[in-house]
Amino acid sequence: MRLPRLFTRLWGGLALLAALSAPVPAIAVTPEEMLADPALEERARTLSKQLRCLVCQNQSIDDSDADLARDLRVEVRRQLSTGSSDAKILANLRETYGDYVLLNPPVSPGTYVLWGSPVFILLAGAAIIIAGRRRREDADGTAALDPAEPPAPPLPPGTGRTAIALGSLVLAVSLGLYLVLGRADLPSQPLAGRGAELAAAADASNAQMAEKQTGLDEARSAAATSPDDVGAWLRLAMAAAASGETNTELAALEQAERLTNGDPAIRAMQAEAMSRAADGQVTIPARELITRILAEDPSEPRALFLSGLAAYQDENFGAAVEIWLRLQSLSAPDAPWMALLADNIADAAKAGGINLDAVTPARGPDAETMAAAAEMSDEDRAAMIEGMVEGLAARLAEEPGDAAGWQRLARAYDVLGRPEDATRAMIGRADAMPGDAGAQLAALEGVVVNRLEEGLAEDAGRLLERIASLAPDRSETLYIRGHFAKLSGDVEAARAFWQALLDRLPDDAPIVGQLRDAIDAL
Amino acid sequence: MNGGMNGGEQTTVRTRRLAFLIPLAGFLVLAGFASIALLATLRGERDMTQLPSAMVGKPAPAAALPDLREAGNTVSAIDFKGRPFLVNIFASWCAPCRAEAPALALLFEEIEIFGIAYKDKSEDTRGFLATYGDPFADIGIDRDGDAGMRWGVYGVPETFLVDANGTIILRHAGPIDRRVLDELLRPAIQDLTTGTRP
Repeated sequence: MRLPRLFTRLWGGLALLAALSAPVPAIAVTPEEMLADPALEERARTLSKQLRCLVCQNQSIDDSDADLARDLRVEVRRQLSTGSSDAKILANLRETYGDYVLLNPPVSPGTYVLWGSPVFILLAGAAIIIAGRRRREDADGTAALDPAEPPAPPLPPGTGRTAIALGSLVLAVSLGLYLVLGRADLPSQPLAGRGAELAAAADASNAQMAEKQTGLDEARSAAATSPDDVGAWLRLAMAAAASGETNTELAALEQAERLTNGDPAIRAMQAEAMSRAADGQVTIPARELITRILAEDPSEPRALFLSGLAAYQDENFGAAVEIWLRLQSLSAPDAPWMALLADNIADAAKAGGINLDAVTPARGPDAETMAAAAEMSDEDRAAMIEGMVEGLAARLAEEPGDAAGWQRLARAYDVLGRPEDATRAMIGRADAMPGDAGAQLAALEGVVVNRLEEGLAEDAGRLLERIASLAPDRSETLYIRGHFAKLSGDVEAARAFWQALLDRLPDDAPIVGQLRDAIDAL
Repeated sequence: MNGGMNGGEQTTVRTRRLAFLIPLAGFLVLAGFASIALLATLRGERDMTQLPSAMVGKPAPAAALPDLREAGNTVSAIDFKGRPFLVNIFASWCAPCRAEAPALALLFEEIEIFGIAYKDKSEDTRGFLATYGDPFADIGIDRDGDAGMRWGVYGVPETFLVDANGTIILRHAGPIDRRVLDELLRPAIQDLTTGTRP
């Protein structure tokens, strides 16, 4: 989440994130759907539990992750916030979707049989029992009247009472089971169970985190007490990697690299850490580093692996297979990466439609081009990077749906110091995933941070429209819409958005003061 | 006297024996209904996924939608009033919508079709129409599914037949295949068009 940078730029070093992320209960309802007013939200939840998800048919919309269920939840909330009563909302939905949208079927001519049959069966059962008793009493009576007649086949004493008791027991148990398990407004069982599972998983991951944190602290103090020990820095890097602290990891690797005078293996770890920091995308700086490592040591396994991954991410599957096969042939059969490598090769071959039997790993030429790249002047190397970036940009122009590609392009432009192009790439990414509120916000944030509101007004308008419908109540949305309203001279709208944001924030949130000032300044 | 008593007792015993048949008979009746329903499903005469639509018999939702073909313009089901028409709710991301494209192309010859592009990007919708053909008289954009909700749609594609007064006559959820076309839509359209002609 890059939101803090936005506020840093605008209001001077303020982190808002903690204030924005209020804890929310986990069901299918997502935070951005929720109403700010807890009483209304409570009513929305109660209503949602009575409404059927028409796509999944045996879940309530409160339980379901289906798209239509989400739409209906949002619709229920929209109607609630316009002041409709619960009954009115249910009636409106029944109007369009029919009785079927209600989990509890209403009593109507079509459902008389449904609702009436239990009562009918109950009465019929009672009638049969009573008739049976009466007949037996009659039979007893006649037997007494006429002693010559053999008595009617004797029923065991108390049969009638036992039957009634048993019948009542069955009825009571059925009713109990219905109330505990069968009622329409109960949440579906797997999801209800998921709550406990999630809690257990969270506990486990917390414990793991604590353990990692201790490991990290120990490694940190070990490296601090013996700063000349390469092993200590590497252990710190590994501990940091395990806790996801990429900055610490990169800093520790830098120390190790310095101590070893640029050992290729350690630099390959740096390239790996850089890629990990970029969600697994092999970034342009990482690629540059890899090229240089391979020029020095063409068989450095980590660098080879990343080089293959870079080719794979460029959808150059032939090169990826070739590089990975070379790594496979260079590695010991029991090397720890062999299983992953085999998977990757199969994956790349499948993606590229390559027949693996026909490919023989080439050893020489690629290393030569890499060596050539390493001997390039800085200008040539910059030109090579520019070339890679332009290639990616050209591919994305043809396949604009590749969100990860756009993100990689944006990062590359960031590194090259071309913020406007980076922002345009972020807009491309937002267009590639129009249903993702985060992507829209990230692109808009780029527009605001780089002061491109005028130049990219049209794109910004499109993204604003999307977040307005995707996540109208998110704090970032409120802030950004206010910002753009102010720019367009619509002071009233800006005030309304910012005031709504202010109302959402706790009074002690650090930015409240600045937000008030900004509103007053309108 | 004796004989009479005997006769009465025999009847009682017989009724008591027959009483055991009541639950059996009840079970057989239920099983009968179940097998009729099951056989109908197996023969394809009854579709378990078709839910009853509450919209049949109601006026077609008239909300104005942005026009896909001309930015700034709006289109609405009301534009078609005075003649029967079909409403087809579709999306480029929906595979069954591709499957029903040939059927819509046939219907294009017979009746006007109002298309509603449900939760779709306009560029994608245009690409879809360029690839699979464009049988629509007008196309409205329903970017966030609001119009779909007014029509009581729960998945795309869905098709509605609306009469000249703007009343919904028929609804079909799912793609239009040969059977739906010949056995459901065409007869209904036939009824409407011959009905409105003097």
